[in-house]
Amino acid sequence: MKSFIASVVKALQVRSIQFIITTSFTLVTVLVMLFVGVMLYSKFSETAEQNAYLNTQQILEQVKYNLDSYLNAMTQIFELVDDKIRNNQGGSDGKLNEQLEAIVETRKDIVSIAVFSRSGELLTATPARQMRNHTQITEQSWFRSAIEDPHNLSFSLPHVQNLFKGEYPWVVSMSREITVKGSHGDIPAVLLVDVNFKEIDELCQRVGLGKKGYVYIIDLVGNIVYHPQQQLIYVGLKNENRALALKHSYGSYVEETEGDKRLITIKTIDPLGWKIIGISYMDEIVTTKKEISRFIFWLLIFVIVIVLLVLSYLSEKISRPIKMLERSMEQVEQGDFSVNHPITGSHEVQQLSLRFHLMVGKVRDLMNQNIRDQEAKRKSELEVLHAQINPHFLYNTLNSVVRMVGIGKNEDVITTITSLSKLFRISLSRGKSMITIQEELEHVRHYLIIQKMRYKQKFEYEITAEEAVLPCKTLKLLLQPIVENAIYHGIEQMADPGMIHIKASKSDGKVLLEVKDNGLGMSSQVREQVLAGTYKSNSGSGVGINNIHERIRLSFGEGYGLEIESEIETGTVVKLWIPHVQDES
Amino acid sequence: MCRTRAEGAVEMGKWKQLVLYLMLILLALTAFYSCEARFDAPVDKKKTVALIAGMKHGDYWRTVKLGAQMAAREFDLNLNFYAPDYENDPQSQIELVEQAARDGYDALVVAPSDEQVMQKALEQDNKQSMPILTLDEEGEYPMIRSYVGTDNYEMGKKAGEKMLAIIGKLGQVALIGSGEKQANTKRREQGVLDVMNGTAGVELVATRYVQSDKRQAGDLAREVIRSYPGVEGIIALDASTATRVAAEIERLGLQGKVKVVAIDSPPEVLEYLQEGVIQATIIQNPFSMGYLGVKYALEASEGKSIPKRLDTGTKVIDRENMFWSENQKLLFPFVK
Repeated sequence: MKSFIASVVKALQVRSIQFIITTSFTLVTVLVMLFVGVMLYSKFSETAEQNAYLNTQQILEQVKYNLDSYLNAMTQIFELVDDKIRNNQGGSDGKLNEQLEAIVETRKDIVSIAVFSRSGELLTATPARQMRNHTQITEQSWFRSAIEDPHNLSFSLPHVQNLFKGEYPWVVSMSREITVKGSHGDIPAVLLVDVNFKEIDELCQRVGLGKKGYVYIIDLVGNIVYHPQQQLIYVGLKNENRALALKHSYGSYVEETEGDKRLITIKTIDPLGWKIIGISYMDEIVTTKKEISRFIFWLLIFVIVIVLLVLSYLSEKISRPIKMLERSMEQVEQGDFSVNHPITGSHEVQQLSLRFHLMVGKVRDLMNQNIRDQEAKRKSELEVLHAQINPHFLYNTLNSVVRMVGIGKNEDVITTITSLSKLFRISLSRGKSMITIQEELEHVRHYLIIQKMRYKQKFEYEITAEEAVLPCKTLKLLLQPIVENAIYHGIEQMADPGMIHIKASKSDGKVLLEVKDNGLGMSSQVREQVLAGTYKSNSGSGVGINNIHERIRLSFGEGYGLEIESEIETGTVVKLWIPHVQDES
Repeated sequence: MCRTRAEGAVEMGKWKQLVLYLMLILLALTAFYSCEARFDAPVDKKKTVALIAGMKHGDYWRTVKLGAQMAAREFDLNLNFYAPDYENDPQSQIELVEQAARDGYDALVVAPSDEQVMQKALEQDNKQSMPILTLDEEGEYPMIRSYVGTDNYEMGKKAGEKMLAIIGKLGQVALIGSGEKQANTKRREQGVLDVMNGTAGVELVATRYVQSDKRQAGDLAREVIRSYPGVEGIIALDASTATRVAAEIERLGLQGKVKVVAIDSPPEVLEYLQEGVIQATIIQNPFSMGYLGVKYALEASEGKSIPKRLDTGTKVIDRENMFWSENQKLLFPFVK
């Protein structure tokens, strides 16, 4: 958990890879999701709205179709009744009544069939029932419209039939003028077929438009044919904008009443001119829209959360090896070159890690090399310092001088002391490490002079040099230890007088310093030991031959150094190869 | 040493993190689906209103129910309609009120048969703080939130005035009713009396009440006519009385001679009206009662303030206007 919080905090570091990946991808995702969400929302809500419109249209179309076919069926019955009456001219009333009764019986929704004279007297009625008083037939709308428009079948508004005793049924009256045969010839009359309104009422009641929506029907002039809340309208508790609906015969519009937005859809039943008006409440459509928007909102949040999680995980996975690499580098920076754990991760990071570790390895090797080199240099410099004032040599020399003074060899004393002084002067040479070959040769010459005094002319020496190499630079005190070795190991134990040949020459662009003696020589085994610096001798200045080799190489590089050629009983040749370096001045 | 521990921690952390991420994703998934599930479930709970009517049957109460159902549909609430099988059955109504209190409703609309019912209802109200409205029967109950129904005094006045108009403000008038002690009847009577007393030429010769058997109304009418042969008109204070009075007058062959003004519009009254036995009737508006009763019950349950008294109005119907289209739906509420 802690590590998770830490990773979150790290992810918040503004310029970290993790942060950049997470934020940029999240931003992109959010933008894309927003775009998609808005598109989806508008598309969905558009579809929802369209569906609502279409749905209402379809329902109304269905209602219209049902009403149409119902009214058509009723019209056909009316025509049938009309036919029967027409064809019965002259026939017996009883037969006609039977036929009409059969029609009324088969169609339960036919309430009554009646014929009235123009003055409103009942001529015949099926089923035969007693008339009520005070019916005011001539005042009734169906009677008046039959008289006014004698040739067309007229449909009345639904009304309460008050003609016959018994119940008061709600009917729609179909009426038309006909002629019937009376006792004094043909007389005009009105045929009335009353159809129970129940069928239409139930048909309309069944229609629901959403939770609250409903359907109502008005006639040509706006009278209510059917309305589920008719009572409320009559007592003024509810108002329906019928005037506006009257202006439309088809189509739909949105109306705002009492804060409710309602979608009004209108269809017209053609022959009658009745208008079916569907009311659907917009807030129900809007509810669908709200649901969609809420759904999309949650979907958006959900996707963003998922994307954030996945991204922080991914970016963490990507950036962690880089961070580890960074940590390794930090370690290296602080001087710990021991880092060596390959980092797993993406290919690039692996490669980076590999190269880094290779590099660190190289650096580590180089540094170790440097350290070794520095150590060797310091050591050899110490040795040189030691050689400069070799106390043992000084003591031996001064002893010889005392001895010489004792036996009165003043000249020898002078030579020895002079040489000694020159020797020291050159070996100190004001602290410089490089001197000319001439000086080096001078130095070794004075050394040989002193040694020759001490060893009572036990050996001879010769120093030759090419004129050209004399001003060349060399490390100081290179030759002296070699000469010392030649005396101590090569010549001292020899019976015959020895010969030391020192030569400075130029060869292959390099300078070659050669010390050749005819002493005892050495075995190749000893030679190897000497070169490796493992040979132990109990005399001499203590400056190892191998150190001279090292000094040369440290100062001048790999191409230079020391070589030994030796043969037992024949002598030894030590070659020093140094570069041809001229002093600028 | 240090390095290996760090590596181990990284390895462990990796697994922990993976598990953590998985768990978070799972959590988000469940949150998402639970949110989605909420869409399907109905977001807000519908209110439920109980209406306890005077009787299960009869056009009057059925019209009340129709109005109440219309309101329930329009305002999107659940309506439970209860009623005893017979009118004036306070015992059954008390049981229904108790049952309603046990079931628990957001509001209760009662058309009480008598004061006992109201008493009971008020007890329940005290216990449950459920708003109670009365319908149809106006009593003196200060605790009731609202009365929705007819102004019976006004109705009585209209009946009296109509009678005066019919008889030409001159002559003897009698009053026959039932349920003497009922508040509605008292108010109607008061309305009639106030009109009669204010008119010089008119004399209210008799006020009779049916005691136990409603069929007595006919006898009462006969007795009044015999006692006061000059009686011009009889005002019947309720529908059943009116029907019986009209039947008696028709039997005596006095239709048109003794005018009848009735209250309410059952089919029998309407038949007599068309036949000319009853000259006029004062109708109430049960549809509005049902509709407004439920509407205001809902508003009361939502804590809105509602009028203490709501007059649903009355209308004078005579033979002249009974088949006018705007009256047809009021007089004949059901399509049969």
